[in-house]
Amino acid sequence: MNRRNALKKSALLAGSAIAVPSLFSLLQSCKQQNRLDWAPVFLSEDQAKFISAFVDTLLPRTETPGALDVKTDIFLDLVFAKTYDTKAQENVVNEIKKFNEECKQRHGKVFADLNMEERMAVFKNKEAESPKFNPKVWGTAVGEQKPVGFYRSLKSMTLWGYFSSEEIGVKHLNYDPVPGEYRGCVPLSEIGNTWSL
Amino acid sequence: MANFNIDAKQNMTYDAIVIGSGISGGWAAKELCENGLKTLVLERGRLVEHVKDYPTMNLDPWDMELRGGISPELQKKHYKGGRSGFIGETNEHFHANDLENPYTEVKPFMWVRAHQMGGRSILWGKQCYRWSDLDFEANAKDGHGVDWPIRYKDIEPWYTYVEKFAGISGESLGLSHLPDSHFLPAMELNCVEKHVKGRLEKEYPGRHLIIGRVAHLTEPLNGRGKCQYRNRCDRGCPYGAYFSSNAVTLPAANATGNLTIRPFSIVQSIIYDEEKGKAIGVRIIDAETNEVMEYFARIIFCNASALSSTQILLNSTSGRFPNGLGNDSGELGHNLMDHTYRIGAMGVVDGFEDQYFKGRRPNGIYIPRYVNLDEKTRSDKFVRGFGFQGGGGRSGWGAGANLENFGGDFKDSLMKPGPWEFFITGFAECLPYHDNKVYLNKDVLDKWGQPTLSIDCEWKENEKALNKQIREDAKEMLERVGLKDIVDFDNQHEPGYGIHEMGTARMGRDPKTSVLNGTNQVHACKNVFVTDGACMTSSSCVNPSLTYMALTARAAHHAVTELKKFNL
Repeated sequence: MNRRNALKKSALLAGSAIAVPSLFSLLQSCKQQNRLDWAPVFLSEDQAKFISAFVDTLLPRTETPGALDVKTDIFLDLVFAKTYDTKAQENVVNEIKKFNEECKQRHGKVFADLNMEERMAVFKNKEAESPKFNPKVWGTAVGEQKPVGFYRSLKSMTLWGYFSSEEIGVKHLNYDPVPGEYRGCVPLSEIGNTWSL
Repeated sequence: MANFNIDAKQNMTYDAIVIGSGISGGWAAKELCENGLKTLVLERGRLVEHVKDYPTMNLDPWDMELRGGISPELQKKHYKGGRSGFIGETNEHFHANDLENPYTEVKPFMWVRAHQMGGRSILWGKQCYRWSDLDFEANAKDGHGVDWPIRYKDIEPWYTYVEKFAGISGESLGLSHLPDSHFLPAMELNCVEKHVKGRLEKEYPGRHLIIGRVAHLTEPLNGRGKCQYRNRCDRGCPYGAYFSSNAVTLPAANATGNLTIRPFSIVQSIIYDEEKGKAIGVRIIDAETNEVMEYFARIIFCNASALSSTQILLNSTSGRFPNGLGNDSGELGHNLMDHTYRIGAMGVVDGFEDQYFKGRRPNGIYIPRYVNLDEKTRSDKFVRGFGFQGGGGRSGWGAGANLENFGGDFKDSLMKPGPWEFFITGFAECLPYHDNKVYLNKDVLDKWGQPTLSIDCEWKENEKALNKQIREDAKEMLERVGLKDIVDFDNQHEPGYGIHEMGTARMGRDPKTSVLNGTNQVHACKNVFVTDGACMTSSSCVNPSLTYMALTARAAHHAVTELKKFNL
């Protein structure tokens, strides 16, 4: 990777204060073959590769952008870095490790190194075994929410990162920042996609 | 808007002092100023000027670094109020600092506070319902608590008065137990809400489903713009479309030239003059400099919010009032109430796939109380009653987390709206119990070295029975209107979650059993008025803020009349 680009990206991502260690890890990473093209703020390079592979498997590019196109992995790294306390951060690290170990047991490689077919088999398994979110009222789960596990939790965060991105929010969902009126019954055909806000 | 006069150094003596600038304090300021009284409003937090101080009002998710998330440090700062789930990057700056302002939960109690000009009027839910004689007569009829010293007829003209200025949108129904307000045009129900309304009212004669009655303008009023349906109210509204002190009452007070507002002014106590037999002013601590200062006035309005007003009264001791100003009865701090919260049901509505809506309506539906209205609807399991809030909508991309699917088609399917869902959640009346209480805690001090509050409050048998009925009724109603995949729930939230704290300085007819009289004056110190949630004698099952507005306007006019007669 070009050093100048690396510097620019990491500075953009994290602000100058965190740019130095990130840059260091990035320079290290350039020596490797299967390298990241972004500088994580919190995750290690291998952990970042896992997150990138995860969001890409969940929301790949079709005729519309994929999660990688709108930098969902980069956003999730920032969320871990800036909104998680130390305990929650440790949990992310452990869960990624556990997830990769399961992949190694079943398929002989960590998740990021699996081919798409293998990744989908892993996801299928995870879907079947992961508990679900309770419904929400006014933004909070109703009833007693049992832990949904790492897979579904990361899936939910990936959806958030993807659909709250500007690219998807403005160009692909139906963006109307100031509706100006409320109409309770409108044919869906007049509107099209889901409202973005 | 003209700048606010914040130069309280010019003058230490006023006609009136108002403690707090939230919903009731804003009304007190407006009414007193408009009646010619030089009025000092003391606000413990910073100034928040309408529009100018709403930094997040126009931000889209992607405009914010964490798209609504907050750091562990901010989470700690809101470690108590954050339990509400309402605090994020968009509104964190309007919530009080729990670390600097501790309180003690003898039993679990969530206390949401907002320490800035406008207080919680920036953040409130805006649901506005008149109380009725079903509420004002309840204590007298079933013997819980003490009798209200007023009836509906006493407050009715004041409801009209405040509604005309605040702007309440809604639909008239003609129910005697949920009297109609002076309404602006109602917001619209969506397809599914209309459908559920039709089925529900047919299945249950006597029950109604209506659009929420809310303090949102559906037409321009007094220079304020109408609602633009952005549903970003708790960031502050640039159009002034919903009622807040910042957008509505304080600018009106300011326009008279009689208002001075002093920010960063923590009222430590009210000063009682033993010789004059009345209050003469207040002692404050400047939150920034820690300087202690005294301000003087002929009348004092206490509008710091239910528990904070009581805290100030408890902290105002003198030879005449060793246990707190106006606490001859021993009831000061007692009879704390809230509404029960988040008990209900939700489900999926079949059909209407080709229908959607436009706009983000900051409002839902309301099902008025239908139990214990008369002999026919009497329950033998509990006294009082409950109402439901709720609403319908189509699920969005968030629902994808639970779908057992992933990949490209999955992603593209989430660009389209999902099934219609509908939910209702009940709010039950809480009885006034003497042992649900707050008291001063001199062992836990706040940042300014002041005693804090201990809160000792719990739901008791009647609330639990009401909650059980709410859950059963919610489930049954959704079943009978034909919803599927119904989930009923009771989150078992502790008191405080309703964010409708009421009581602790109740109104009453008898000074021996109450703190305030029928015009919100401290019985034994008549130039001190308390017109926020602290004054409430019972809790009804409907939202209380509109009643605070009406009681405040009524008390302020009484104060002005009495001042003119030299009675205060």
